[in-house]
Amino acid sequence: MIQKVIDVCTRVEGHGNVKIYIQNDEISNVEFEILAFRGFENILIGKKLSDVPKIVSRICGLCHASQTIVSCKSIEEMYNIKVNQQSVLVRRLLMAGELLKSHSMHYFFQSFPDLLNIFKIYTKPIDIYDLIKYNPQLTSHIYEIIKIGNDIDKLFGGRSIHAITPIPGGVIYRPSRNRIIIVEKYFLRVLSNLEWIIKNFIDLFSKFNPPEDFVIPNVNFLSLSNNKSYDRYDGILTIKKGLAEYQDFRLEEYIDYFDKDPTIRGIDFTDKNHNYLVGPISRNQVVESYGSDEISGYLSLFDEKWRNNILYASFLNLIEMYVESQNSLKILEDPILKSTIPLPNLKSIISREGIGVVEAPRGSLIHHYRINKRNVLKEAKLFIATEINIALINNMISNYARKLYEKKDLNKVKKEIQKIIRAFDPCISCATH
Amino acid sequence: MKLKILIASLTSCSGCISSVLSSDIFPQFLERIKLSYFPFISDENKIEECDIALIEGCISMDSQIELLKDIRNNAKKVYALGTCAAFGGILSLSEKKKAGAISDVVQIDGIIPGCPPPLKLIGNCLIRLIENKEIKLSEKNLCSSCPLRGNNNIPFEKPVNKLNPSNDELTIFNEKSNCFLDNGILCLGPITREGCDHICIEQGIPCEGCLGPVSKDYTSNLINFLSLINLSKDLTKYKGIFYRFSKPKIGW
Repeated sequence: MIQKVIDVCTRVEGHGNVKIYIQNDEISNVEFEILAFRGFENILIGKKLSDVPKIVSRICGLCHASQTIVSCKSIEEMYNIKVNQQSVLVRRLLMAGELLKSHSMHYFFQSFPDLLNIFKIYTKPIDIYDLIKYNPQLTSHIYEIIKIGNDIDKLFGGRSIHAITPIPGGVIYRPSRNRIIIVEKYFLRVLSNLEWIIKNFIDLFSKFNPPEDFVIPNVNFLSLSNNKSYDRYDGILTIKKGLAEYQDFRLEEYIDYFDKDPTIRGIDFTDKNHNYLVGPISRNQVVESYGSDEISGYLSLFDEKWRNNILYASFLNLIEMYVESQNSLKILEDPILKSTIPLPNLKSIISREGIGVVEAPRGSLIHHYRINKRNVLKEAKLFIATEINIALINNMISNYARKLYEKKDLNKVKKEIQKIIRAFDPCISCATH
Repeated sequence: MKLKILIASLTSCSGCISSVLSSDIFPQFLERIKLSYFPFISDENKIEECDIALIEGCISMDSQIELLKDIRNNAKKVYALGTCAAFGGILSLSEKKKAGAISDVVQIDGIIPGCPPPLKLIGNCLIRLIENKEIKLSEKNLCSSCPLRGNNNIPFEKPVNKLNPSNDELTIFNEKSNCFLDNGILCLGPITREGCDHICIEQGIPCEGCLGPVSKDYTSNLINFLSLINLSKDLTKYKGIFYRFSKPKIGW
């Protein structure tokens, strides 16, 4: 007989369970289960193109800008419109603001307490009040980054969540010297906070070897990159298999690697032998350069043992915030942001389907739309980071749970496997789109 | 004694709770209350007696009703945080899924509307809650303070045939900007509560009604309004407007 034990996940975005299957007093399998499937792919059918980006934004309150922007990119492909450089820069700033908020929240509320426990720096359970008192300077630095990320998206997106300025054809934008000055100060502040937080991470954790149970098995790393440089808006998709073999592919070729039936949950992968991973770790694997000397210095402090461990994603969260703040400061200096450039009108549709991709904070995000004769959506396929990662999450938590259960302590199993789940930074809202 | 506060999510995008977390007042709020349940940032997963419950998200599954009733039984006051909890929200667009407001199954003490609620509104509400005062919302519609209104009344007679301005018509608010309805673009300002500082309108985008109506029922307000204006056939049939943030109350 198979016994099924269900436990609720905490400190993750959204509502998820772990389902543990026990047979003959051994754990046979563990599943990370997400419940509230919403069916956005169904909701989008019949919707007007100008309305689609506003609707898909509501898939996720953490990566709303990525959802809106990838939607605009997919629609722009149908009109065969090349977005002006100013709009591209503003979209990048919006995505940077979103990343600051999303990564800093995940690092502080979800990863950091686990890291303290895993490396036995703090041996008792850490509640939210212990956490904010643990290191007041860390707490205030993080709060500030969360707030700044929010403000940046308000300033460039019109709203801090569910931005309204990105539209098919570009971004609604009016140059303002004042705004540039404020945002410049913001990014400088974030950089200074991050230097402290990164140093704090290095001081606390770099001397340890990360635990083997968190090692990522042989997987396919999938990420966008631009000539092998870090880029979340523009570039090509690459799959890195194992340690060396790279495979670049054009976006429209994605069906050679994975596909989905939009009426059913889940993604089908062609490669049945390896799980896929998207997110900071895959970006780190695929990208050869973050374009910053400071970053190379920080990364050199961590060896291969860290690079292949899912716990490394927490450090990469900090690194990516740093890179994007540096890049954003360069964007803010660009004279293009000072001019008034009209947006192209959306006239005739060239292609009846459009595919777009960006790297959302949690990984590659692909939207694929088809329209009917009345120019409303007849099919939408959304490939969303957490949904891509689920098979690997299940694989890793099952292995860890089997090993932990040798001591027959089910409560410990429930508690410990959630640390792997949280290290993936799953976005359940996204996965239940 | 510190007030005990519970923050829970049903079916949602987490945008409302992440807005709470990123509001200026949150660190101070956290110090002044005792957070008894907030799974997004806390491991505590038992629902216990509390003073105030803030609920984000709509009801889309039967299993959420039990959780909600449990919270209601344990909380002195229950508030709907955001438009999904208050009216059903974006999932109302689904023909396959239910999207219930929490007031469909439990009695509530108030709403903090918006998709997500504006940060200023969240800040004001959190302060009032810790001071044990009722949440106060404006009783006026968005037009009453709209920068595009000028001296005109709402132009009900103009034909309305567009959902959004086309890209060459887009104008970020300036002194020459004109009422959307006057320009033939659908704006839900007349039936939407003020409180958002017209952020969309100032960017050149008409109101999509995310704060909901001043009086209770979302759909009846919308039906009345759409029948008053001269809406094109194409838009009359478009479900994206009709069920954008709510649908008629359903049984559970």
